[in-house]
Amino acid sequence: MRKQLAAVAGALLITAVLQGCGGDDDSGGGAGQTINVLIGANTIYPDQQRQWFTEVSDRFAKENGGATVKFETFASPNDELTKIQTSVLSNQGPDVYALGTTFTPTAAATGAFETLGADQWAKIGGRDRFVPATLGISGPDPEHEVGIPFAQRPFVMAYNKDMLAAAGIDKPADSWDGLLQQAKKMTGDGKFGMAISYADGFDPWKFIWAMSIQAGNPLVDGSTASLNDPRTLLAYQTYLSWLATDKVVDPAAVGWKSAQSIAAFGQGKAAYLPMVSASSRVTLDKSSVAGKYAYALMPVIPPGATSTPAGGKPAASILSGDNLVVAKYSKHKDLAFALVKMLTEADSQQSYYKTFGEMPTNTQAAEALKSDPLVAPIIESAQKSVGTPFTGAWSQIQLALLNVVVQTIPDLSAGKVDQAKLKGLVDQAQTTAQGALDKAK
Amino acid sequence: MTDVKTQPPATTRVAGAPVRAGRRHRPLWMLIPGALLTLVVIVIPLLTAAYISLTDLDQYTIREWIRSPFAGIGNYTEALTDSPLLHAVAVSAGYAAIVTVITLPIGVAAALATQDKFRGRGLVRSIFLIPYVLPAFVVGTVWRVILQPDGVVDGWLGTDRTLWLNGPKSFWALIIVQTWASWPLIYLLAVSGLQAVDPDVHEAAALDGAGWWAKLWHVIFPYLRGPVSLALVIAFLHNVNNFTLPFVLFGIPAPHDVETLPVLTYVESFQNFRFGLSAAMAVLSLLLVAVPIVAYLRAVRLTTGEES
Repeated sequence: MRKQLAAVAGALLITAVLQGCGGDDDSGGGAGQTINVLIGANTIYPDQQRQWFTEVSDRFAKENGGATVKFETFASPNDELTKIQTSVLSNQGPDVYALGTTFTPTAAATGAFETLGADQWAKIGGRDRFVPATLGISGPDPEHEVGIPFAQRPFVMAYNKDMLAAAGIDKPADSWDGLLQQAKKMTGDGKFGMAISYADGFDPWKFIWAMSIQAGNPLVDGSTASLNDPRTLLAYQTYLSWLATDKVVDPAAVGWKSAQSIAAFGQGKAAYLPMVSASSRVTLDKSSVAGKYAYALMPVIPPGATSTPAGGKPAASILSGDNLVVAKYSKHKDLAFALVKMLTEADSQQSYYKTFGEMPTNTQAAEALKSDPLVAPIIESAQKSVGTPFTGAWSQIQLALLNVVVQTIPDLSAGKVDQAKLKGLVDQAQTTAQGALDKAK
Repeated sequence: MTDVKTQPPATTRVAGAPVRAGRRHRPLWMLIPGALLTLVVIVIPLLTAAYISLTDLDQYTIREWIRSPFAGIGNYTEALTDSPLLHAVAVSAGYAAIVTVITLPIGVAAALATQDKFRGRGLVRSIFLIPYVLPAFVVGTVWRVILQPDGVVDGWLGTDRTLWLNGPKSFWALIIVQTWASWPLIYLLAVSGLQAVDPDVHEAAALDGAGWWAKLWHVIFPYLRGPVSLALVIAFLHNVNNFTLPFVLFGIPAPHDVETLPVLTYVESFQNFRFGLSAAMAVLSLLLVAVPIVAYLRAVRLTTGEES
């Protein structure tokens, strides 16, 4: 008898727990329901971010009959990836994720996120509310988009106005060759023409990608990789030679990550600081170059050319920023889309820019910003940004591109670029990239 | 080893109780919680990893991982023939062995130095433990700054822009930092060994007129053999499995000279999403770490229930 009682009690307990896990279904009204959002922790403005979470939740509750929004943050893309993996496996977790643009294709490859059809776009407030360029990395094609552009962090180049003026340069060059000539003029007396983060985990491949696509090689075409194309090899040579043989970069930069380049520029030791986003303002405005620097577009004419060659794209930056995606397993999809709609409205986007310095993706909000001279080049870069290839294999390709630079650092430090070795490394990257594309589904 | 055969089977030795009664009344059910825990924490994940290593699990199939295509031993073949695995094994085992050998005399010397009472001994002993209790992430970050070209180390050595964090010197950088961070483990276990030294033997050795070296070699070291060999095994395994330090020091992708096994496995899983291949690598590295463990267990004869 006692055994039977225990069995019944056990069964009841398990049922209760399972029901608890299952959660409740959407039942129209919002009261008592919660949307979970996973978003990157903002290390520059942590207090403002917490404040923003509260504001969003309060406003959402007001507009959606009491449904609340709960934010969870991740510290690094790896954290986010782990969270996505466990959620995908267990079919439960955050309803909405904020994904970095270059990570969007890989995340989309899991098939865990809602594809945006006419219906879904209508719920968000229409596809046409977004700056067209920002949709460049939302999906493999317009019919299979999953990512809703939320914020933009396009890359630009900061320059030291005083150093340029002293060298008699009236404006930054629009070609990489021109930039090198200008940088040479400004190198000397312990100062350098450029600050480059050769040891950064992301910057190097962005240069290589940009110079390649500007020369007409998009690196990936459908299911074919072309990393060992001569144009890409020239991109590597150009990028590596700045330090090794042209000597326009501080030799210590072989160990620099992005923060160290920004610091060197902030100390007035470099004239140009390519590949930074608007968030560098926070550091630079507190540095010795405050008020003496400005932003400009990075060169869009590839190495060895004086104008954009046939087939080349004048890409000013990778399409950089955050996309929002809604999980397929979400039990509150309508509410999730309602939240995305709210976050991408013009006024939300404007206040997000004012708080965090991230560019709006909403057309109306982006237009309104053009009047700020310091911001104008950043807006322009956003419009001239080009999406990196949309393939689930991109993260492997990105790492393969980066690996070439990592393994060349010892040569760089010795002041040389070994052509044969570089070619070997690029060929190896090509093999890795093609292997990854062959597995892509 | 020869006396093993002469020992009665371990089961009959339980408190000398008669065999039959012992079997009937042994409360084996009390092992259930422990067994369940082992099952959930060790056995199931291990079997899952072994299963994954036989599949082609990647970012495209993870949503329905159980249905990912079966790859047989494909991942193992790829790991052994077409990946940097063997190079990574060489790097990991090489650096782990060197670090273990270097930390041994440091740890034992430190234990001997703090054996006799002196003013401030407690403080010195606490200071010795600082590298060990610091999180590896902190150690890596601080050393990363120290080893920068034109950084602190270049200042000390009076050299110019030495490249420590990439190229051939990076291997030695890893050894230096790991030695700095891990010698207190040997020290701790050597201290515990020294505490077991019977004070009488000191006296006896002194009476026999043994010099300090003879005393150290013939009297103290035999006591240290057990704990220190355990420390060596643990230190070696700890070094082989260290992920955080190389990850923080060198970043990913790792420079060729410091591409260690855990970092390679991590990159395959979480950058390249080749979960199957990565699981195969993990299984192979399990075999690698099993070697010193088995050697150690045999040495102390734990497998036979016999104390050395």
